[in-house]
Amino acid sequence: MLRYFAKSFALIAVAVVVTCGIYPAILWAIGQTVFPFQANGSIVRNADGAVIGSMLVAQPFTKDEYFQPRPSAASYDATASTSSGYAPSNYALRDRVARVIGPIATYASGDKKGQAVAPDVETWFQADKFGGNPHIVAQWADAHNSIAQAWVTGDPTHGAFVDDWSKAHDAVVQDWIKKNPATPQPKGSDLAVVFFENFSNDHPGAFPSSVTKTGADGKPATSIEPVNTGSDIQSIFFDMWRSDHPDVALNDVPADLVTASASGLDPDITLENAEFQLDRVAAKWADDKKLKVDDVRKEIEAILQDKAHAPWGGLIGEKLVNVLDVNLELHKRYGDPA
Amino acid sequence: MFRTVTGFFEIVFTLALVVVAARPLGAYMADLFQNRRTVLTPILGPIERAFYWAAGVKSEDEQEWDAYAISMVLFGGACMLSLYAILRLQAWLPLNPQGFPAVPPDLAFNIAVSFVTNANWQAYGGETTLSHLSQMVGLTANNFLDSGAAIAIAVALVRALTRNESTTIGNFWVDVTRATLYVLLPVAFVLALVFAAFGVPQTLVGSIGAATLEGLKQTIAIGPVASQEAIKLLGDNGGGFFNANSAHPFENPSVWSNILQNWSQLVLPVALVFAFGRMAGDAKQGRALLITMAVIFVMALAVIWKVEAAGNPALTAIGVDPSQGVMEGKDLRFGQAGAALFADATTGTGTGASNAVLESMAPISGLAAMFNLLLGCISPGGVGTGLYSLLLLVLITAFIGALMIGRTPEYLGKKINARDMQFAMFALLLSPALVLVFAGGASVVKIALDSLGAGGPHGLSEIVYAYASSAADNGSAFAGLNANTPWWNVTTGVAMFLGRFAHAIPILAIAGSLAAKKKAMPSAGTLPTDGPLFITFLLAVIVIITLLQYLPALALGPVAEHFLLQQGTLF
Repeated sequence: MLRYFAKSFALIAVAVVVTCGIYPAILWAIGQTVFPFQANGSIVRNADGAVIGSMLVAQPFTKDEYFQPRPSAASYDATASTSSGYAPSNYALRDRVARVIGPIATYASGDKKGQAVAPDVETWFQADKFGGNPHIVAQWADAHNSIAQAWVTGDPTHGAFVDDWSKAHDAVVQDWIKKNPATPQPKGSDLAVVFFENFSNDHPGAFPSSVTKTGADGKPATSIEPVNTGSDIQSIFFDMWRSDHPDVALNDVPADLVTASASGLDPDITLENAEFQLDRVAAKWADDKKLKVDDVRKEIEAILQDKAHAPWGGLIGEKLVNVLDVNLELHKRYGDPA
Repeated sequence: MFRTVTGFFEIVFTLALVVVAARPLGAYMADLFQNRRTVLTPILGPIERAFYWAAGVKSEDEQEWDAYAISMVLFGGACMLSLYAILRLQAWLPLNPQGFPAVPPDLAFNIAVSFVTNANWQAYGGETTLSHLSQMVGLTANNFLDSGAAIAIAVALVRALTRNESTTIGNFWVDVTRATLYVLLPVAFVLALVFAAFGVPQTLVGSIGAATLEGLKQTIAIGPVASQEAIKLLGDNGGGFFNANSAHPFENPSVWSNILQNWSQLVLPVALVFAFGRMAGDAKQGRALLITMAVIFVMALAVIWKVEAAGNPALTAIGVDPSQGVMEGKDLRFGQAGAALFADATTGTGTGASNAVLESMAPISGLAAMFNLLLGCISPGGVGTGLYSLLLLVLITAFIGALMIGRTPEYLGKKINARDMQFAMFALLLSPALVLVFAGGASVVKIALDSLGAGGPHGLSEIVYAYASSAADNGSAFAGLNANTPWWNVTTGVAMFLGRFAHAIPILAIAGSLAAKKKAMPSAGTLPTDGPLFITFLLAVIVIITLLQYLPALALGPVAEHFLLQQGTLF
């Protein structure tokens, strides 16, 4: 027995020298001398030699002047690659995607062809009827408890608002405790559903949103108030609007525009996705640099066509655009965004 | 249509490269394990002798099956102990540029078992948990050695089938040394170089700080990735340098690297089947096994590709263009075909790496992947493990077939008796025992259920998949499951340990018994084992056995989820 162990450890020791010492060291030496660019992570630098990033790793772009990479479950943190881990049947996935689509969705046919859906979502929301029944917000919270809870926990001002509400509505809270004896001291998130039901009753056709106003002292102050227009309504309630209007034809969005990649660091988008973003990007640069939109659009279109690549002339894979690559080109051509 | 054509081209191209390379590689391995000189003997001979000298091995001595098995188990134990020690001590050891603390005991146990059993089940994020020393010394060395050990077991079984009245089945120490030194090391070396040329980093720097084009700060984790990447896939290990595994752009930067990744997972298992045909002196026997593997592989591939390309109906309903297919949890550069091929290859072999998130794939893709695991990873199987697991099923099929037509059960001229079948049934029933008992337990224990990342039937899929993967020593996972908790670390660790060792010991016992038997000449009474009839029968036995064991679990998990998703029910 001991003899076998001794043999094993000796073998492991020699193997460590060969597989962990010699093998990677020779590879390292060859990599560093023959293809140092690749072996060091395909790093791009600016004119001063400072590192901008890696051509292989997505970096965040927030400005409208730039093409944006795919959504990232890792928040583009290149030290902690990850995916959303959502199952296809997970409502959280559908909710996340619907919130992106809502504000950008357009009609595909009819009188309003090409126009945004968002104003109609707001009008529908204000009427406060879903599936023929009143109180959209209450129905929303009932159907998706965890999403309602995430609203409460996702932002400290939301949590504080619900806490204040629960103090002001002791009777409602006591009633909730009676129905849920296992939770005698409910937290804000426990009360999320009953909070929204109550809110929906008090403020039909409205949703609690952060509103920034100039206070009496001249400084901007943010508070939670009932609102019936704006991005929260357009994004959160788009999914319900869609199920109330199943027969309306909308323009589809490219899948990679709204889905998170496996690594969270996908450096590419499809050419289709880039074309989808082209209007926004061109309009913004034209505005910044006082140029004609049509000219800019044509120029950037040419850049995209030039940068789009598919191996073996498209025999393998489809046409993709490296986001950093095109944005570097935009930066070279137009300078810094305003 | 265009996507179908390009995807088809990519798949055919990859598989053709596998077969083209596997044939000569198989011939080379057959020579190597039959003590013949090979082309690399002049270069590697001195290093091989250094191994024997250091370990005190007499290379010409052969072992009986029990000594071979004990050597295999104790060698695994030694690997596990040394890896556990490195992980627990990494905070105080060199090459820890990020200053990571010691790995906690339950996780260290899990990693140690995982990397020694070739499962590479990763309950942790590589770039956020392990120092460079742990990655390089701890994991890379075991990636070589455990694959070497698996090849050794397969080779021992093949020798037993092809020898006549032999008391010995080879020398474990010699087999593991040769498999590592002559097979894994040179191929991995060439692979790693090509990977590096494609953009996989090979540097000792821990991370790079960048100021992005918009002036934001981004830190990019990096390291000696290429050397680990090559053996990760070639040895069917699957443990990635980064959390996102082969989806990470540094592990798998392009469509080309992805083709090579798929190739490298498949090439050795297929080559071993060619080696088997050659060692058996009957290429047709090897071909029969290869066809069996290929049928399962292609069917699973067709299913996965088809359903992934159809897109997610829950997203199509709100205006997502379905033409790209299911894109959540997929990086664009691989395409649906490249991702489907990878998902099939990684579960059909023992690799368990991933270039797309299985959790986010359509339920039926999850079903196909899970089915690959529940078959025991035999299409074409892990390096070594695939061949010996399939040979086990061949013995059972030959036994059943012969009894059905009233002949003496035999395979390759070796009579199969009741004792051989008892060992075979033990090895066969081990996996359902582990999977169903653990999954049943996890379905009712709160500390296990707290780790689930999905509600409804998908939650059950996560549980069954986790144990199917660990019992088959595959290591792939539904990423939604938070497996880094004491419950999951310990139970999957035990399943991986038994899945490897309690499975391999009866196989070596059968090898011992078969080696000692006389090799009979084929007669009119012999059931041929190389024709279409036998292949069909073998496939039927494999599928029926698996469905009998797991149908209820599969119906309640992925199948139920599929129908609910189609009718719009979300969780």
